[in-house]
Amino acid sequence: MPAPLPAELAKVDPAEAWRPWAPSAEEPWDRKRVAHLFRRAAFGPSPADTARALTDGYERTLTRLLAGEPDAADRLAMCEDAGRYLLDGTRIRLGFDFNNNPVDPGVPVRGWWLYTILEGGHPLREKLTLFWHNHFATSYAKVGSIRLMFEQNRTLRRHALGRFRPFLLEMSRDPAMLIWLDSNQNVRGAPNENYAREVMELFSLGVGNYTERDIQEAARAFTGWHHTPDQTAFEFNPSLHDDGAKTIFGQTGNFGGEDVLRLCADRPACAKFLVGKLYAFLVSETPPPAALLAPLEDSFRRSDYDVVALVRIVLESRLFFSAHAYRKRVKWPVEYAVGAVRAVAPERVPLGDLIDPLAKMGQVLFAPPNVKGWRTGTDWLNSATLLARNNFAETVAMGTWPRRSARQTNGQLDAVVAKSADVAAVAAETVNATAAAAAVGAPASYGAGFETLDTPDGQMLLVVGGTSAGGPPGGAVGTPAPGAPTPPMDARLDPTLVLFEPKPAGVPELVARMSDLLYGEPAPAAARAKIQSFLLGGRPTLPPAELETPASKARAREALHALMCLPEYQLN
Amino acid sequence: MFHRRDFLGRALGGSALLAAAPTVPEFLAHGLNTVVPYADDLYHRARPTLGLTRREVLRLDDYHGFHPQLGDLKRMYDNKQLAVVQGVGYPNPDRSHFESMDIWQLADPSRAQTNGWLGRTIPAMHAGGAGVPGMFVGQDRLPVALQGADGGVISLADRASFRLQLTGNAPARRRLIEELNGGTAGGDADLAAFVRRRQLQTYTSLQKIEEALRDIGPTNNNQPRRPDQPQQPNDLANLNGKLGLIARLIQKGLGTRIYYASLAGFDTHSGQADTHADLLGEVSSSIGQFFQQLGGEANRVVLMTYSEFGRRVRQNGSRGTDHGSGSNLFVAGPKVNGGLVGRHPRLDDLVDGDVRYHTDFRRVYATLLDQWLGVESRLVLGGAWEALPLIDKSKPDGGPAAPAPAPPRPGRPIPAPTPKE
Repeated sequence: MPAPLPAELAKVDPAEAWRPWAPSAEEPWDRKRVAHLFRRAAFGPSPADTARALTDGYERTLTRLLAGEPDAADRLAMCEDAGRYLLDGTRIRLGFDFNNNPVDPGVPVRGWWLYTILEGGHPLREKLTLFWHNHFATSYAKVGSIRLMFEQNRTLRRHALGRFRPFLLEMSRDPAMLIWLDSNQNVRGAPNENYAREVMELFSLGVGNYTERDIQEAARAFTGWHHTPDQTAFEFNPSLHDDGAKTIFGQTGNFGGEDVLRLCADRPACAKFLVGKLYAFLVSETPPPAALLAPLEDSFRRSDYDVVALVRIVLESRLFFSAHAYRKRVKWPVEYAVGAVRAVAPERVPLGDLIDPLAKMGQVLFAPPNVKGWRTGTDWLNSATLLARNNFAETVAMGTWPRRSARQTNGQLDAVVAKSADVAAVAAETVNATAAAAAVGAPASYGAGFETLDTPDGQMLLVVGGTSAGGPPGGAVGTPAPGAPTPPMDARLDPTLVLFEPKPAGVPELVARMSDLLYGEPAPAAARAKIQSFLLGGRPTLPPAELETPASKARAREALHALMCLPEYQLN
Repeated sequence: MFHRRDFLGRALGGSALLAAAPTVPEFLAHGLNTVVPYADDLYHRARPTLGLTRREVLRLDDYHGFHPQLGDLKRMYDNKQLAVVQGVGYPNPDRSHFESMDIWQLADPSRAQTNGWLGRTIPAMHAGGAGVPGMFVGQDRLPVALQGADGGVISLADRASFRLQLTGNAPARRRLIEELNGGTAGGDADLAAFVRRRQLQTYTSLQKIEEALRDIGPTNNNQPRRPDQPQQPNDLANLNGKLGLIARLIQKGLGTRIYYASLAGFDTHSGQADTHADLLGEVSSSIGQFFQQLGGEANRVVLMTYSEFGRRVRQNGSRGTDHGSGSNLFVAGPKVNGGLVGRHPRLDDLVDGDVRYHTDFRRVYATLLDQWLGVESRLVLGGAWEALPLIDKSKPDGGPAAPAPAPPRPGRPIPAPTPKE
């Protein structure tokens, strides 16, 4: 049994820090550590995940997280089929709803990615895809093509746990990236330095590890790296390429773009830069002493930038399972929202209802604010975004999902995406349903909602309209109509279905169950006491039978929301 | 948590506050009759009836004068707290209102961007004071400039969405949540303690907004004032009321770093003189009162006005002017380098009847982003723009603008811009 790591990060021996962790009597493989691992390597545990992880033990759980579910490849194929179906303009008129009102065309693809995160069978891969989306931050706001953003997302995913060199090369030729950083304006005699600068500053080396001269010369090497006129593919334009000699990082040659990327990856700063970012994402946002990351940088270099090998070292390390990592990050909005849903929603929720809250929390997928990506850490939290988090938690805890209730009331179905063998038949039915809805004047909505449906053929992703969905076209994303009533609770999404399975013996056990689901450990004693007295409502105790009255269950949902408003719930 | 004084000091050090009241918009629309080249014969020939004479204008120097309604702004100018940026525009101007407005608000003449320039600024800002980063003070729909600021902007017209959602048992639930966040138990880690503070600040933010609105009393309606109606000082349909509310919110330390308000009605194709004079008077007095009301807080504030375009130099057949290009904009505040910035566009060098712009409007934006808001302008504007000499943080704190005559200063010529996109 090794001695515990020192409480002061500066005193932690780097070699000890990255040695593999193993469960012990003092540090058992328990709910708390399961929850910690799932928050970092996935998007938080569902109750079923926790049960399985405790049964399987640490090793098998970690292996499954690293490799994904056995059917992850099939699931991904299904998800990508669904995505392509979604993008097919003949089935869904992207940009307009069925009343010809403009719709944010990013909405369906955002829902699609959330769906893939939840259903793709490989949450770690999705987690790293999200990391790389922020690293190679590209926004639909300028690219203008959701299809290109979708294709870029597939590229990010393909390389998310792969090797950095081919990844960097493919991203440098990605059509969305080429548009985003004005590559077509980069021509012999009049270089545009945009890509050359970002590839060094933001994608591989970080500020201070190159000179302005390096950037100017690299820009010349990238001249002629263009997209085709229809913007769908990379093409090298030799007549606009400057094939003269360039000097980059002190080396001279008739370099092309590939050479720049190779030279960047050869720099010692590259491993340092990437390891630092991955450390903040997977371990802690507290800046580490430089020496702490040196072993990781070495092994990352030695593996020629094998990302999954690095991720494995980090996730199975002693440091990862220490207090130096525990709750040392602020949840990204996607982690927050998906995590809350996985923890307490009894079944699939309409994913369209995550889109607007995520925008209010400050994270619109496929639309990071600029090429530097989102401002993470404590910058995620301001009055507006914290309120958005508290309010999204309310929807989850109370089971009041706008799109679900809209669908229940008007049965409107705008479109469908399916892996089913019989997609055409489903589509025909969808078109009929839509036509029928239009004929009776059912109100169409801005934006589209998402639902999943299990059919005998398999699972389908539905795109569903809802009267309470979305905001005005072009307006702030997802501003609900002022004064819109809160939707009723959907009985199928009532979290007490989870909280009361199995039935708690009394109020203390109920509160303990809530804490387990949300935190993987008991809430602080003072908070527990306050929640218990709220649930008891002045009574000395509550017999089990009375615990299940509708009024008590309503209180339980309210208490669950309050527990989700604790500061610790914002931390990962 | 640092003491409030510290925060103010810090604000001056780099995370200061911008009250972009930009759309005072079309106010600039009348470039030529706002900042008047009164000494230029060409001006009087082009505007035989609308032109202002040497005797009418508030003279800035022996060539430029302000419209006579701009008394408060003239006082700020004399106190070196108002910069007049002349000849602002962009290449190949679009004379459609909506498209030109979009271009100014997107900061993108190609209109490839879909998020506004402030919408792109807000997520790139450090979340210094914890409050709502951006606020639109008005009842209209959110301006393009602020769109796309995910998790960063509220509109006063939509305060309903800025509240803690508590269906059912609201008072007891609110009490519970506030109690849970009020204690110190469990706040072992610094990060949790930080979040706890942010959470409490969140709950007080809306309260402060509601207080500020209560202070100004009920606003009688949301309709623009008709010319025959008396102006209510606190009416949020007036620029005066909007800027007054912003001043209150700044004084309450809400932590908001960008405020945005607008004033419409400058599109005067006909009967320009009276309407224009009234509107300019409202702009000038509102801005003057705004800085007065701010008192010492004014040192943390820079106000910028903008409009989508100027007017044609020559008046038209209905004693108005048609849409043109190239105009001027104002940047005001105690930490502003007062004076004329750039020369007046030459009236003997017109393009299609318009003055020729020489300063790209994105240089103004870039200057405010880099030097006042502390946001790397290239991240927002997608390219490097040469700064203008607009901000001087080393200036001593200025009190409210007092009438102090100052000798007019000549405009400083600015070399033609070389945008590097």
